[in-house]
Amino acid sequence: MEKQVLAERSDKEIYRKGDKVFIKFDSSFSKADILNEALNQSRIEETGLNIPKLHEVRLLDDDQMIVMDYVPGNTLQELMDENPEKMDEYLELFVDLQIAIHQERAPLLNEMHSKMSRKIANSGLNATIRYELDSRLAGMPVHNKVCHGDFNPTNIIITDDEEAYVLDWSHATQGNGSHDAATTYLDFYLKGEKELAEKYRKLYAEKTNTALQYILKWCPIVAAEQLAKGIKENEEFLMRWVDVVEYE
Amino acid sequence: MTKVRTIVEDQETLQNALDEVRKAQREFAHFTQEEVDKVFLAASVAANQARIPLAKHAVEESGMGCVEDKVIKNHYAAEFVYNKYKDTQTVGIVEEDTSYGIKKVLEPIGVISAIIPTTNPTSTAIFKILIALKTRNGIVISPHPRAKDCTIEAAKIILDAAVKAGAPEGIISWIDVPSLELTQMVMAESDTILATGGPGMVNAAYSSGKPALGVGAGNTPAIIDDSADILLAVNSIIHSKTFDNGMICASEQSVVVLDDVYDEVKKEFAYRNCHFLNDKELDKVRKTIIINGALNSKIVGQPAPVIAELAGINVPETTKILIGEVTDVSLAEEFAHEKLSPVLAMYRADDFDDALDKADRLVKDGGYGHTSALYIDTAAENDRLEKFQNRMKTARILINTPSSQGGIGDIYNFKLTPSLTLGCGTWGGNSVSENVGVKHLLNIKTVAERKENMLWLKTPAKTFFKRGCLPLALDELKTVQNKKRAFIVTDKFLFDNGYTDTITKKLDALGIEHKTFSNVQPDPTLSNVTQGANEMHDFQPDTIIAVGGGSPMDAAKIMWVMYEHPETDFMDLAMRFMDIRKRVLGFPVLGEKAYFVAIPTTAGTGAEVTPFAVITDDESNVKYPLADYQLMPDMAVVDADLMDNAPKGLTAYSGFDAVTHALEAYVSVMASDYTDGLALQALKVAFEYLPRAYKYGAKDPVAREKMGDASTMAGMAFGNAFLGVCHSMAHKLGSQHHVTHGLANALLINEVISFNASETPTKMGTFSQYDHPKALSRYAEIADHLNLGGNTDEEKLENLLDALNELKAEIGIKQTIQEYDVPEKEFLDTLDAMVESAFDDQCTGANPRYPLMSEIKEMYLNAYYGKDR
Repeated sequence: MEKQVLAERSDKEIYRKGDKVFIKFDSSFSKADILNEALNQSRIEETGLNIPKLHEVRLLDDDQMIVMDYVPGNTLQELMDENPEKMDEYLELFVDLQIAIHQERAPLLNEMHSKMSRKIANSGLNATIRYELDSRLAGMPVHNKVCHGDFNPTNIIITDDEEAYVLDWSHATQGNGSHDAATTYLDFYLKGEKELAEKYRKLYAEKTNTALQYILKWCPIVAAEQLAKGIKENEEFLMRWVDVVEYE
Repeated sequence: MTKVRTIVEDQETLQNALDEVRKAQREFAHFTQEEVDKVFLAASVAANQARIPLAKHAVEESGMGCVEDKVIKNHYAAEFVYNKYKDTQTVGIVEEDTSYGIKKVLEPIGVISAIIPTTNPTSTAIFKILIALKTRNGIVISPHPRAKDCTIEAAKIILDAAVKAGAPEGIISWIDVPSLELTQMVMAESDTILATGGPGMVNAAYSSGKPALGVGAGNTPAIIDDSADILLAVNSIIHSKTFDNGMICASEQSVVVLDDVYDEVKKEFAYRNCHFLNDKELDKVRKTIIINGALNSKIVGQPAPVIAELAGINVPETTKILIGEVTDVSLAEEFAHEKLSPVLAMYRADDFDDALDKADRLVKDGGYGHTSALYIDTAAENDRLEKFQNRMKTARILINTPSSQGGIGDIYNFKLTPSLTLGCGTWGGNSVSENVGVKHLLNIKTVAERKENMLWLKTPAKTFFKRGCLPLALDELKTVQNKKRAFIVTDKFLFDNGYTDTITKKLDALGIEHKTFSNVQPDPTLSNVTQGANEMHDFQPDTIIAVGGGSPMDAAKIMWVMYEHPETDFMDLAMRFMDIRKRVLGFPVLGEKAYFVAIPTTAGTGAEVTPFAVITDDESNVKYPLADYQLMPDMAVVDADLMDNAPKGLTAYSGFDAVTHALEAYVSVMASDYTDGLALQALKVAFEYLPRAYKYGAKDPVAREKMGDASTMAGMAFGNAFLGVCHSMAHKLGSQHHVTHGLANALLINEVISFNASETPTKMGTFSQYDHPKALSRYAEIADHLNLGGNTDEEKLENLLDALNELKAEIGIKQTIQEYDVPEKEFLDTLDAMVESAFDDQCTGANPRYPLMSEIKEMYLNAYYGKDR
């Protein structure tokens, strides 16, 4: 069977063989992270959401991988690029899908707040900014919605029967939906899609009946998480989002 | 200090520090007021003397604010707070009222955690430490990382001075290496939290599980009315907005100016070196001050030229404030946010209402509960001031005052508590809506001694008795009262049989006009009584004379109410009360139009001397028992001449009703020595004369007269001590199954006595003077008074029960309810409903044993079946 590479990252390769997708990790990749990703995916699978079915986790010395179903179709990003006139329709579908995920519950999934505090602690930011971020986080409501954590159009497959599948659950947590929305919002921004970002935020706020500003309240925190990834070219932009205060 | 302090940098060192503060506080808690005041003075003086170095240190370290203004803040925190509380008592008994047996004792809270913000890192620390010391609390300071050194410096200076003045070592501590984790630990481990900071911090404080005095965000709007003194208004705002480079939370964030004076206001701002941003500059400043709806930390507490430079615009070095003329008051407008810097939004308002709308929105979106300001001619535009104060949801509403210096109190106003922690009420998610002070750091213990309620003996002003006394008593109506028109209320039987003739003859002789209403029905209804009241209205009497048994007397009392207060709603009057002194709906005053004379023709109800009346609603068939001393007759005439011909059944049942009145009044939780005498004597007389009156009727005039007196004495007793659960149950048995009231009492009383006599009741009655279950000994006292014999209380109780059974037998009363043709099925079907309404009857409250509903049910069943059960 022929191997078809779908994506390559510095420490992993994603390819397809037949009706399966293989995520092959470098030998340096943490076993715990692989298991976490697989565990997240299985927990989501149990909610009944449309996602690729997980088949195998392999942790041999030179052979670490996760195997799951291949979902044939186009990513939503591809569709958006190909049919810009249908952008509004796609955005609508995109937000509905995200809200549908937020309606699910997975009580054993990692908790968002504790993940965020870890990210803030490891962000490399100075004590003053961390203090502000921690205070901000402590003031945000703790919810238990299933959140994808990296919800963007490249992680959504639309099949030929127009069914939507969501991929890549490695960042999934249970927590506050507006945080998830802020992550998506920032993601659009980092891709240079400023207008789309605003349109998205407005639509999400409308559909969930939340205040526009409420999504923004998460911005310094999601920006700090992105900073933790250490991508140099985003640093200046992200710092601007992070270095804000909320005084008496 | 003698000891070397360990650096607090992690959970372990913090726990040690907390333990030390707690230990020191335990010692501090025993300080006298004098010792505390000495510490308070020393701490204040030390902080005061360090005001300049601390201000310099704060600006240097935080990179925010203005040294000279921070000096004022430090000075204020040390001096004004000391001045405010120097004579305030914070130790010991603060209030005492020996006659009510109440005192209030002040007690420290324990360990306070204090969150200190970067905006006021030294003054807030001084303030919080001073109020903690004044209240004998320990305090742990959680500084902000951006200003930790100066905050700690302030704490150290005060600690040293306090210890020198006698405070326990270690009464103040702090986190040396601040992090939110340690801050949260301090909050969770302390007894209360003085949180100052952003909404995040305040939320964190509230979610720590400890009571918190948090304060929230401010977004103060200042309206400049067209009546305002523009010179004063503009310069006050500049003075306030530039104070410490705009970092005071109460500082104006927006000015809303009425159209008429807008240009003048603008001119004055410009004249005083405030810079109005043009469109291009406005956008640049917008993007600089707010990022994603949050405040850019780089602009906080910076002078206007620095902010201009950050935004990439040029302004003169002398610029005081950057002003953006904007129109949108929603959060979509960056200028509508709290800016904590000398950047100000300016709005044009069409009129005052428009200005209110704008200010209201600004407050609700950004500063709910904090502060608002109005510049106005208070003398000429008081209406507008009132509108403003009604509309603003802020805990501080400042008039013609710079809000930074005005909100913290005592500088531009009097009596606004000087404080650097400003409560924002529930609007801001706070537990307090005033400026925080020492009272919030004290626990007040109230020592309340058991006190007994005032009791009374209320009876008609005059009670006349002795056979044949009626005409003599009526003389008074003319000779003493000078009455002219009397309205007689009676029933048809009595009227037809001439019972009112003596009265009408006498009235004629006295020259008093009179009219008789003789249509009172048994168990009078509302419509029946209304009929009489209508006639009363037509006749306009100055005297009402009720003649008869319970029904005419009750009916006449209600007519009295209707005649004097036609607007009365009987549902309100019938509302059940727990304590007659605390009833919700007051009774109207009676006696303004008519004098009330009650003349009983049977011995039993006692209504001639009681404050009670019962009326039935025709529509619902519900009985409304009314109870209030307004219903007390003014004169009672007990003349046996009117009682001689009562039929046997009536004599027996109403006579036994009187016996029950006395029995219940004697064991009531409200019984007193005054009512005891009446009750005991009524019983003694009734036990002796009721059988004779029953047996011989008119042939034994002495027995008749004695029973008349017994009934009235019992009435006086229960009119003051009230009744008990036997009457509660009798009322319901009577209305459900048409058992005559006195008979119902007779059938139930033995069960109730046995029930009440328990020395271990499930629950006892609630009344302060009722100190332990004592019905058994009270019944024994009755037995003694009746000479029934017996050696122990239990024997005496048995003898009393036997005597009651004998009495019943002598006057032809059978033992059980079922013997009176109440069908078993109907009785059982209605039982639960009777139980619940008997439980809720007004009489239940005075019973010495508080009955459970299941216990009432048992009594009903026992009374129904008797020994067969």
